[in-house]
Amino acid sequence: MTASYHQIPLAQVQPGMVLSDELLDVQGNVLLPQGTVLTDAMLALMPRHGIAILPIASTDEVSADEVQATLQHHDQRLAHLFRKNDPDSDSDWATALLRQFVSDFRLGVAEEESPE
Amino acid sequence: MSTILTYDDVVKNLDDLPSLPAVVMELLNSIDQEDVDISVLAKKVSHDQALTAKTLRLANSSLYGLQVKVTTIQQAITYLGFQTTRNLITAAAVTGCFAEGQCPGFDHKAFWRHSIATAACAKVLARQMRFNQDYAFTAGLLHDIGRLVLVSCFPQQYAEAIAHRAAHDCFMLDAERTVLGVDHVDAGLALAEHWNFSDTMRLAIGGHHDPEAPGAGFLAAIIHVADAIVHALDLTQVEDDLVPPVSTVAWTALGLDKAVYLQLFRETELQYEEIQMVLLS
Repeated sequence: MTASYHQIPLAQVQPGMVLSDELLDVQGNVLLPQGTVLTDAMLALMPRHGIAILPIASTDEVSADEVQATLQHHDQRLAHLFRKNDPDSDSDWATALLRQFVSDFRLGVAEEESPE
Repeated sequence: MSTILTYDDVVKNLDDLPSLPAVVMELLNSIDQEDVDISVLAKKVSHDQALTAKTLRLANSSLYGLQVKVTTIQQAITYLGFQTTRNLITAAAVTGCFAEGQCPGFDHKAFWRHSIATAACAKVLARQMRFNQDYAFTAGLLHDIGRLVLVSCFPQQYAEAIAHRAAHDCFMLDAERTVLGVDHVDAGLALAEHWNFSDTMRLAIGGHHDPEAPGAGFLAAIIHVADAIVHALDLTQVEDDLVPPVSTVAWTALGLDKAVYLQLFRETELQYEEIQMVLLS
């Protein structure tokens, strides 16, 4: 499901980066599933499994236009899906909240930036 | 206009529905029983090759993170437990049981995509809430099963309801009530009765659009929210999909914060991909 990724040498991989693919060891056994958020502990174990390069999901380095287009597409789609919801309605706040969460999820708004 | 149907009309037609394999009925009926003879059941399921194959593929998916590949139903029970295996068998059986293409405009594949996504999401939610994940998975999978009942028993009328929905851009639930006179919740309950579902499952099917009703139960709230999340995540990929209103009572009952939801969205998407590849291939 990850659109683009980079093969990054172990030394440059930071905790918090996300695996774009499942990670296999030399025997072909799955060590970590796709989408794993890497931690210090996991990275420390990599040399033992003979892993020098990891497939990391790219978060940036896509052209700004593409990003803009994707964001706009998601935004329009969400507006369409939630077309029966009035975001300012007092009684329907749970739906509005769900919309806000999914929107942040899709548009990649960092959690720290949330208005609450 | 077509004639308005009643709950009794639905019940009368239930006998014409395809029946599940006998062993699956037996499994469903034993959902609350503790003293079932597992080895006998495992043997019975093993006689159905297609069912066994699908079940084992589910068991071996990364969903359960097994270190070994299970190759028999008995083994699956050993590693995953009886409850989980039973749910996998049910999922594998139910998704293949209704005939496709009798009702113009009804997208069978989309129906199951939605059901599987809801099952995946409900399972993740249940884990967060420390609720029985297997109940949540099965209830999520079956919550809209009444739609299939209506489609199978009254294809003509249901096609009208679909056209009505498209013309008025309303919720399918309202279109069903207007055109048919019964909705998929009624039909689901009738089937749950007919197939002897457990009370937990019945309440969840009956309450997933109205979790605020007295006695609806916690599982109904989980399924209700999972259903809305799946619509919002657009996992079904239906052009005119609509997110149903989320009950504030159910939302509050779950009491999860934003960080949990974001994590949950991601997990749901990943699990959904995997399950739907097994069940819909």
